Amino acid sequence: MIASVLPLIGRRLLASILILFVVSVLLFFVLHALPVDPAAMSLPPNATIAEIEAKRREMGLDLPLPRQYLIWLSQVLHGDFGVSIHYRRSVVSLVAGTLPATIEMAALSIVIAGLLGVVGGLVLFHVRGKREEPLIDFGSILLLSIPEFLWSLFFILIFGVALQWLPFTGRLDPDMRLPHGSGFLLADALLAGRPDIFWSALKHLILPCFALGLAFSPTIMRVLRSSLIDVYHEDYVHMARLRGLSERRILLHHALKNAFLPTLSLMGVQFGFLFGGTLLVEVIFSYPGLGNLMVDAVRNADLPIIQLVGLAYCVVVLIINTVVDSLYLLLNPKLRQR
Amino acid sequence: MTFELERRTLLRMLGLGAGGLGAAGAGTLAGCLAAFAQEKDAVTIGWPVDVPAWDPNQRFTPEVQVIYKLVFDQPLGQNPKLDLVPNLVTKWELAKDALSLTVELRDGVKFHNGDPMTAEDFRYTFFERLQGPDKIDTKNSWRKVSDIEVQSPTKAVMKFSSPAPTAPQWLAFLGSYVVPKKYMTQAGVDGFNQKPIGTGPYKLVDYQLNARIVLERNDDYWGGRAPIKRVTFEIIKDPSARVAAIQSGQVDLTTNVPVREVGRLQHEPNLAGEINPITRVILLQCRNDQGFADDNVRLAAHHAINKDALSKAFYAGAAVPLSVPVTPGTPGYLPDFRFAYDPALAKQLLAKSGFGPDKPATIGFASTNGQFPSDYDIARAIVQMWKEVGINADLQTIEYSKYFELNRGDKLPEATLYSWDNATGDPEIYTGYLLNPKLPFSAWKGMDVGAKVLDLFNIADYQTRIAGYKDINKYAVEHGATIPLLQSVQTLVRKKNLSYEKYGNGWVLANTMKWG
Repeated sequence: MIASVLPLIGRRLLASILILFVVSVLLFFVLHALPVDPAAMSLPPNATIAEIEAKRREMGLDLPLPRQYLIWLSQVLHGDFGVSIHYRRSVVSLVAGTLPATIEMAALSIVIAGLLGVVGGLVLFHVRGKREEPLIDFGSILLLSIPEFLWSLFFILIFGVALQWLPFTGRLDPDMRLPHGSGFLLADALLAGRPDIFWSALKHLILPCFALGLAFSPTIMRVLRSSLIDVYHEDYVHMARLRGLSERRILLHHALKNAFLPTLSLMGVQFGFLFGGTLLVEVIFSYPGLGNLMVDAVRNADLPIIQLVGLAYCVVVLIINTVVDSLYLLLNPKLRQR
Repeated sequence: MTFELERRTLLRMLGLGAGGLGAAGAGTLAGCLAAFAQEKDAVTIGWPVDVPAWDPNQRFTPEVQVIYKLVFDQPLGQNPKLDLVPNLVTKWELAKDALSLTVELRDGVKFHNGDPMTAEDFRYTFFERLQGPDKIDTKNSWRKVSDIEVQSPTKAVMKFSSPAPTAPQWLAFLGSYVVPKKYMTQAGVDGFNQKPIGTGPYKLVDYQLNARIVLERNDDYWGGRAPIKRVTFEIIKDPSARVAAIQSGQVDLTTNVPVREVGRLQHEPNLAGEINPITRVILLQCRNDQGFADDNVRLAAHHAINKDALSKAFYAGAAVPLSVPVTPGTPGYLPDFRFAYDPALAKQLLAKSGFGPDKPATIGFASTNGQFPSDYDIARAIVQMWKEVGINADLQTIEYSKYFELNRGDKLPEATLYSWDNATGDPEIYTGYLLNPKLPFSAWKGMDVGAKVLDLFNIADYQTRIAGYKDINKYAVEHGATIPLLQSVQTLVRKKNLSYEKYGNGWVLANTMKWG
């Protein structure tokens, strides 16, 4: 079964190289066309105009753009993604230090979105044709229209300020230190045998992950509902009824498995948007992830960071889509036989 | 036949989910209440900006100087009235020609690792480091240093290649923190950034990028033990989140919250809100050509602005209207000089040049949006004030970083709303920078003002220099080279029983905080 996905992964890997190359070209040229001055931003406020000009020459900003790109590409192929203009340290170390936090939040968020989406989809399917359908439908549209940053503000107001049930800044309680490890705090805490850190990290993830999950779940609900309606017209469902199976068994053991496949594909696409959505959520929750780093980089015209973070987002989305497509292949035996 | 998901099953599924959340919620509630319990020997500060690095000489980021000042010391300090006071340097004397500065260093000061602080560290920080490969901003501020002669472990003489009349002020300003020579050369910049060592009243014990800074008191501090043992900075960049954090008690003090929120939070029983004028000026940077080539148009633009109204509308009346580009209480200020709000005079001046409400003068106008509180709102209000007298301003929003790009390319519009902070209060770091044709801040390129400003950089005598800045401040305003607007304010909300020492430049120093 696993062997059947290897050719897919191989093809995706080759395609990813080309995609990353194209994305890097687009990012580079768009960023360098922006009206920002990285040379000025990399010097202190009392630098003279002459010093800024000299810095521009030192940074190669006076060279033609294609040549600047080739210099950058050559450095990247040697593992050098440059030095942050603002932090003045390796961009790779900054991104590597913050990426796990964002992936952790995004992963938990997509799980929440998936669970809410599946439960919601089943509820929407259950009430079709009934009196409650318009109300539940309206509810799902209302959920769809509220973006993740608005959920974030609502949750802070309700659970952070009014009820004071949950923290809404950072990743850990103030008296705790980050355990050494991969940066995936939940895993690092368990491996370090620190359940207190685990629960603190989980507490800090609840509000931002629910904000993201709730914002992205309505689409999953509605797609699952539509898929179930389509699947219920299939002959094998009628056959199952004729065989005397209960409606519950038909839904959960036959229809849902097939109806879930389009939903799975959607979740792969949704993850890309969700990963991008972490940017605003991280700023609102003061969550020290890649999004927070990116926002600072934009403010400071820190082009090396923006470039690598842009590529990092691209890589994560490519990986997730490959994983989703592989799962699709594993779950659908018909595709494996082709 | 229609499908019937058994209600019991559905409810069971939802119930399991809700039960799980409820259990987590109860656990978190108990945990949170414990966390929110106030420790009297600790303070948590919600701060909007993280340090770019732990090497304090590396980057001039004004908002984090109050954090650096807890871990490191500067040669000179400032008192709340901004006068220079001894710090690591106990005595200093600037030569009459400002080509040298003799300093005597405090004896018995130790770095956090126990190494003594001596004149060798002073020389390393302000001379040797600047010759090396480290990318540090102090290379610019101390570019005039040609050598530092170490006469004894506690005495040194800084020598300058050209007059440096503001060297003492810069010893108390951005980036000028003494770092340990031995430790820095052994550990390197990267090692120092991982584990910084200073002489300050606190030591760094934990740092999470863009999240948290935890400091613990240095009980051997030469200046005496700080009242609070443990200081935690929660880095909260979003203003709404800072408001939420102070209101929920997750932090004990925070700054840079919207002015209207200060008014609201003041009514909370356990919170005190403050709007404090500081050394930041809000002004219009002006071109001397294009639509602003005509003196009448520039002066009319200034007379048309009702600064009291701007202060009342956007800063609850706490921002002081300015007639010069320096703040009250600082050496370059002119308490008796007023540039009047006079829309009738503005119309007369415009009429002399053939403009009026029926035939308006047209200019470009740029403003940031969110760079400082109410920036874009102020710009829009000014556009309306100008319209009433006969100036049509085409307002565009720019990022702060774009200002420099536009200035470099000579593409700035006629007027740009700008704000400038100067913790020293010295007029060189106000007018000397804002109207300096060689630095990237000035939109005004006319040498009538520019030459005078450049000359002032070389005047060694303090009184003569200050008198010169007073003159140029008045001249620049009277000729429309600058349009000062307001002294900006700092908004701060704290727990009522937390006190701290107020500085005129807005410093909020944790080593002056006490629980009352």
